[in-house]
Amino acid sequence: MTEEPRLSARELIERLEPALSRARRIRAVTALLTGLSGTVFMAALWGGEPGPLPGRTQAMFALLTAVCLAWAGYGGWLLMRRVPLFAADRVIAAWIALAASLVTTAALAVLAVRRGTGLAPVLAAGGLFVATALVLAVRAHARRAALLRRARELARAHPSPPRTHPSEN
Amino acid sequence: MTDELLVVRAQLGERAALAELVARWRMPVWTYVRRMLDAERADDVTQEIWLAVIRGLPRLREPARFAPWLFTIARRSVTDRLRGQYAREHEHAHEALAADDVIVDDPVDAAVDRAELVSLLSGLPMPEREILVLFYLQDLSVEDCAQICEIPAGTVKSRLNRARRLLRAHLEEKGYRP
Repeated sequence: MTEEPRLSARELIERLEPALSRARRIRAVTALLTGLSGTVFMAALWGGEPGPLPGRTQAMFALLTAVCLAWAGYGGWLLMRRVPLFAADRVIAAWIALAASLVTTAALAVLAVRRGTGLAPVLAAGGLFVATALVLAVRAHARRAALLRRARELARAHPSPPRTHPSEN
Repeated sequence: MTDELLVVRAQLGERAALAELVARWRMPVWTYVRRMLDAERADDVTQEIWLAVIRGLPRLREPARFAPWLFTIARRSVTDRLRGQYAREHEHAHEALAADDVIVDDPVDAAVDRAELVSLLSGLPMPEREILVLFYLQDLSVEDCAQICEIPAGTVKSRLNRARRLLRAHLEEKGYRP
């Protein structure tokens, strides 16, 4: 049987490139985080508005919140279904998530203080996001450390043959 | 470098390890797919399989069991393409297996070399063909075949027996005597 696949190994890897693209991974993480932060921000603004709002303003807030949710959904879908996050990516993504949570919480807290609206709900919601991001960061570091440890064990158990210069053969 | 080490390094995010893993398993995956599908669809399905492998690799919990995991994905992609055909032939094979569920060692093991096996496979029903490809062409254990095909190990053995008998019949039709 001499039949061969049409794609060489190099061509196959090239075809897989979109799934491995760093830009796509960054886009996915960014969409998820900005979408989530935006949703929380818009919801806080909407909820914190004093007095009854006109219908058009309500509709605008609802629309903007829905747009942010859609971005969060798109980012989540990309990460779940389309873009693999390897151990190193997860560590980076978790730290970006932590930074985004802190920035969003700080911005909302400043806004709440300036408006004189309740700071406690903002800190509670922000704290939840920060805590979740911290848990993700700790888990990502632990997973990466476990993989590195396993790689070292395996490399010790099955050392690669030393590379020899062609002239030595 | 072992497959497990390659998988672990790929899971860490090393592109070179991932490329080596793809290069190492490209032919076995394609061979399996090609034995199950026509040439037209084999390349497309192979690419689909590798995409699924790359997307699922970060979540693989047992890197040492990469091969069965890989072929589970491959089988899923193939059966998706063959859903109707596979179901009909699986039903038929199931009825036949109930009648001859005895496990025996068969001299056809020794008689059939890989090249002959490959040429004879296309004449076999899908469930038997699949088991032969996984067991003989990919050298997977009965337990791994059972995991991949989601059937008990006993059924794998029965299916192998039936496949050997069918192969022997095909060989004898062609005038081959062990």
